[in-house]
Amino acid sequence: MIDWTANYGFFLNEEHAMLRKTVRDFAEKEVAPYIQEWDRKGASHDAGMAEHMIPVIKRMGELGFLGVCIPQKYGGAGFDYLGLAVVCEELERVDTTLRVILSVHTGLNSLAVFQWGNEEQKQKYLVPQAKGEKIAAYCLTEPNAGTDVAGMQSTAVLEGDHYVLNGEKTWISLSDLADHFLVVAYTDKGKKQRGMTAFIVERSFEGVETTPIHGKLGVRAGNTGSVVFKNVRVPVANRLGDEGEGFKIAMTALDNGRYTVASGATGLIQAALEASLKYSKERETFGVPIGNHQLVKRMLSHMILNLETSRMLCYRAGWLKNQGIRNTRETTLAKWHATVESFNAANDAIQIHGAYGFSDEYPVERYLRNSRGAVIYEGTRELQELLQADFALEERSYKALRCELPAYDEAAWNE
Amino acid sequence: MHAVVCVKQVPEQNSVKITPDKKVDASGINPIINLFDEYAIEEALQWAEKSNGQVTVISLGSDDATDSLKKALAMGANEAVLISDAALADVGAQGAAKVVAAAIKKLGNVDIVFCGKQSTDDETGQFGPALARFLGWPQLTYVFKVHELTASSIVVDRALEDTLETVESSLPVVVTAVKDLNEPRYPSLLKIRKVSKQPIPTWGLSDVGLSVGDLGGTIKISDRVPPPPRPSGEMISGDVQTQVKALVQKLVESQVL
Repeated sequence: MIDWTANYGFFLNEEHAMLRKTVRDFAEKEVAPYIQEWDRKGASHDAGMAEHMIPVIKRMGELGFLGVCIPQKYGGAGFDYLGLAVVCEELERVDTTLRVILSVHTGLNSLAVFQWGNEEQKQKYLVPQAKGEKIAAYCLTEPNAGTDVAGMQSTAVLEGDHYVLNGEKTWISLSDLADHFLVVAYTDKGKKQRGMTAFIVERSFEGVETTPIHGKLGVRAGNTGSVVFKNVRVPVANRLGDEGEGFKIAMTALDNGRYTVASGATGLIQAALEASLKYSKERETFGVPIGNHQLVKRMLSHMILNLETSRMLCYRAGWLKNQGIRNTRETTLAKWHATVESFNAANDAIQIHGAYGFSDEYPVERYLRNSRGAVIYEGTRELQELLQADFALEERSYKALRCELPAYDEAAWNE
Repeated sequence: MHAVVCVKQVPEQNSVKITPDKKVDASGINPIINLFDEYAIEEALQWAEKSNGQVTVISLGSDDATDSLKKALAMGANEAVLISDAALADVGAQGAAKVVAAAIKKLGNVDIVFCGKQSTDDETGQFGPALARFLGWPQLTYVFKVHELTASSIVVDRALEDTLETVESSLPVVVTAVKDLNEPRYPSLLKIRKVSKQPIPTWGLSDVGLSVGDLGGTIKISDRVPPPPRPSGEMISGDVQTQVKALVQKLVESQVL
């Protein structure tokens, strides 16, 4: 059996291999045997949350996954950014729900606090998040503002030493169990994107209410919902970055979130391929295993091509992060390719499984449902396509940021 | 307390393939720690943590067995030793036990040795008892619970074929672990970062004071036969009642019922 993760020594080292084995062991032992049941039950109600969602996040925190690439002095495990990709691959190889936890808690929220937060904020929020003691979410999307971020309506008005936050955010992963929310709102709507500001909001602040979303197509084992802020008094000390930096913070957070989504989608392609290879050897038609039929071989080959290209695009983005080089173009390319191809891989996996693939007795229909959301969230397929052309046509370029994501420094990460 | 755990690196069972010329296809093998040895590691760690003791893991094998030793270190073991020597390539269970016994004597001040009840590749189950014999220590095999471990004694439950028995022994002692002994922990991410670059000392035969002539008989594998391929299953269609009726009929026909 081919090890699909082998021969990436130009990016990965022995540490990454041990990390991968540990995460795979966890996901295969503690999640895979139960995921069909969790997916059927869902997590948009108290029972689902108590029975699997809360315990699995707690376990991931105990094992150090939630702070994998955060420096040890901030409570993390001190791996590099490629380590984050490895964890996401292995988690989504079993179920997207697990990877989504890393995407919002680590990619979108914790890394944003690491990049933009002051020391006090890092100690107060990043440290317990990296240790998994507190759970974090990211609130950008609104009922009438997704890709069109400037269309958001949430506002924060400064009154003395507090901002008064009002608005509604939706499609927020981990909404019903997060302790901390990274929220972007207008402090000056007239300035459009430059009038947005980011805040760290605690669930315990008065006026924060969350409600789950029911009836999702995929990621059913995970929790997604809406967060409403009604006259929430947010201390000035909880403003992340300066006033007017909210859009930049949101976009740099997405550079990290999309990286986790792309890496996870790579893991999903691998899961679809592994399931398809197994079935292609077992199932016989016309007197031979179906893997002997050329059109089945073609579907398998396309999965392999897209698995390997997705993985290489992700690792290149991770390598750039390690070097401290801006990587929006490379990350969005990885996210676009990996998510679209994870959907195609899952779709072909169902085709290979025939009618059995249409039932949740086999995992491939779950892969298809789970893969679909990532073609939309954290930047639609169409947005990623436009970004590629914009960069190529030199209509988009990088502008210096006040705070860059720190380059990986092994000594500093181990302090 | 100083505990030694004997760890064998074995191929993951479903990753082994035999080539047409009856050799093991090394390219597809996924090396793992022998299943039962993981329980041995966990038990040693738990008791060492209670007594502020020390755990040393020893493996006899090729250089790539360091992967398993590093996993044990990342789980929490303090030290690791690899015993590797070209002369040990075809050594059997008893010869391996003799070499490891010599290594344990070289370490000195060892109170207890934990190992798995058997390895999932050779499946002989001889290593633990032979090790105890070469050390001249009592052996407690098939242990599924350790009730008490003090500086001088141990009380365990043993799972025998038709009996469960509680036994007390003096130390030093050799204990072999069965599957239900505990729940092995995952490697710690922080420790993975530390041990991945940690060099592991390698001892050859002469380092433990032995020579090829001390090893006794070696094992030569004369033939390898892959298990026969599983016949493809038969899907029973129809509603539940029809399916159950057909299934029961087939079970009766095949004399299962």
